[in-house]
Amino acid sequence: MTRPTFFWMSRPIPFSDGESIAAALTAAGIVSLGRDPVGQSARYFCGIGACQACTVRVAGVPREACLTRAEAGARVEPLHPAPLHLVQGEPGDAA
Amino acid sequence: MRPDAPRKIERAMDVLVVGGGPAGMACASACARQGLSVTLVDQRASLGGAIFRQPVGGAAPVPQPASSRQRWRRLLADLTSAPGLDLRLETLFLGLEADGLALIEDRNAGRVLSLRPRALVLATGAVERILPRPGWTLPGVVTAGGLQVLMKETGRPPAGRVVLAGSGPLLLAVAAQMTGLGHPPLAILEAGDPLRRWSAGLALIAHPALLREAAGYLATLARARVPWHRGAVLRRIAAESEGEGETLVATWTDRRGASHSLAADRIALHDGLAENAFGLPEDAAASPRRPLVLRIGDCRAALGAPAAIADGTAAGERIAARLASPTGRQATDAETEPAALARHRAAQGHIARAFAPLAPVSPADLADDTVLCRCEGRTVGDLKRLLAEDEGLSPRELKLSGRFAMGACQGRFCAANTAALTSSLTGATTPFAPGAFTGQRWPIRPVPIAALAAPAPAPSLPDESQT
Repeated sequence: MTRPTFFWMSRPIPFSDGESIAAALTAAGIVSLGRDPVGQSARYFCGIGACQACTVRVAGVPREACLTRAEAGARVEPLHPAPLHLVQGEPGDAA
Repeated sequence: MRPDAPRKIERAMDVLVVGGGPAGMACASACARQGLSVTLVDQRASLGGAIFRQPVGGAAPVPQPASSRQRWRRLLADLTSAPGLDLRLETLFLGLEADGLALIEDRNAGRVLSLRPRALVLATGAVERILPRPGWTLPGVVTAGGLQVLMKETGRPPAGRVVLAGSGPLLLAVAAQMTGLGHPPLAILEAGDPLRRWSAGLALIAHPALLREAAGYLATLARARVPWHRGAVLRRIAAESEGEGETLVATWTDRRGASHSLAADRIALHDGLAENAFGLPEDAAASPRRPLVLRIGDCRAALGAPAAIADGTAAGERIAARLASPTGRQATDAETEPAALARHRAAQGHIARAFAPLAPVSPADLADDTVLCRCEGRTVGDLKRLLAEDEGLSPRELKLSGRFAMGACQGRFCAANTAALTSSLTGATTPFAPGAFTGQRWPIRPVPIAALAAPAPAPSLPDESQT
């Protein structure tokens, strides 16, 4: 039986029913979740929605990867797609 | 930030319980059995909190003590049989507005709702203390609790070489659970030495259940020959290239000061537990415009699941009595801790003494480039420079000009460390409290502007997968 997948950027990531995005990405060996505006890697850390360090975009909406269930076909991307100096400002993202 | 338009009250209830861990579940059950209307919200898609995180997709549960499994079954059975409970999952508490409305973000509906409860119960649990060390913000460095909840969720141990470091019994529990899943960690670096703290250890004889649990973990680790280095301090973590990829290198010192290093794929940190009370409203008696507010469980005092269940159950009964009284204006509960909790408090005190670091690292001794505040990338050196310019800066001024405790985590992981370093650098006679940096305001966590502005009823979230 083929497991459902969501997309981390363009890469399909398999997951089990009910699994969080963070758990599925971790199982796929993805540790860095993109760069944040101060140049550090976003990454899974506390697992309880407190540190915000694993926040990614799910269908465009910022969500903590550790709190959010994976859904088949969902598009998951880094919160900040490219280093900030290459992007002309992302107002509101640092809120 | 405060929307100007008056909010429509979308639902009123007797009790709103925030957090579906042991305290919140026990309290919601108790309130419902007293005939109160109860709404229970939790941020995740399933109940249990971190301690009772449930396996997904048919995964086998992680090995747990029988007493813990029993507590979970009981909590769930009580809640399931509680009459008329309104359970809202994937729903986050944002705060209490000045006019007494509780704001929650319903992530399935993609919008913020205003509720008017007569009592607001906060059961948001505990958060791990993580001391700053060079390299603690690198990918692959997680909290020990973060590592543990992933194991509980997936039934799988973390992949690769794992080092557990910091201090406290949770390091032993996580190591034993990894071992039980067939993948022991490389080592545990424990800053304390409970085997040498005789008096604290002896005091725990009065708490045989805790000792049995600890003995079970130690036996598992001894069989798997997992080294438990006591008096060991993790000094720094570096990312180094190894073959095709990168590896983490942990540098640590033993109790004699000799330096060692370990290459690992995951480093899990833990320096104790603290109340997850950041930004929460204070306990308060009900007033005509504001609900009764009560913190329960680990967010009131981080004493563990059995204490949280006792606290939640007792709070449910008190709330019912309070709401039934015509004035509803009796004293708040801060001074009336249930007697059963005294025992848990004593036990946690003994454990804290047993695991007290042998040679605590002062934050003032950390290298200047050590990150204090991860969200904003602010370092020990940044704080030292600010205070060198003006030692009299208040925590609020340090936050506003230095951006400490200002980022997306709202100080949950840096406020205590920033407060400790500020106290140490200024020689403050009264140490600064973390709350002086975090302050109290809503929203207590980031919320999409679109959800705040969404009209009611809103279309569901842009989510292509739902049909």
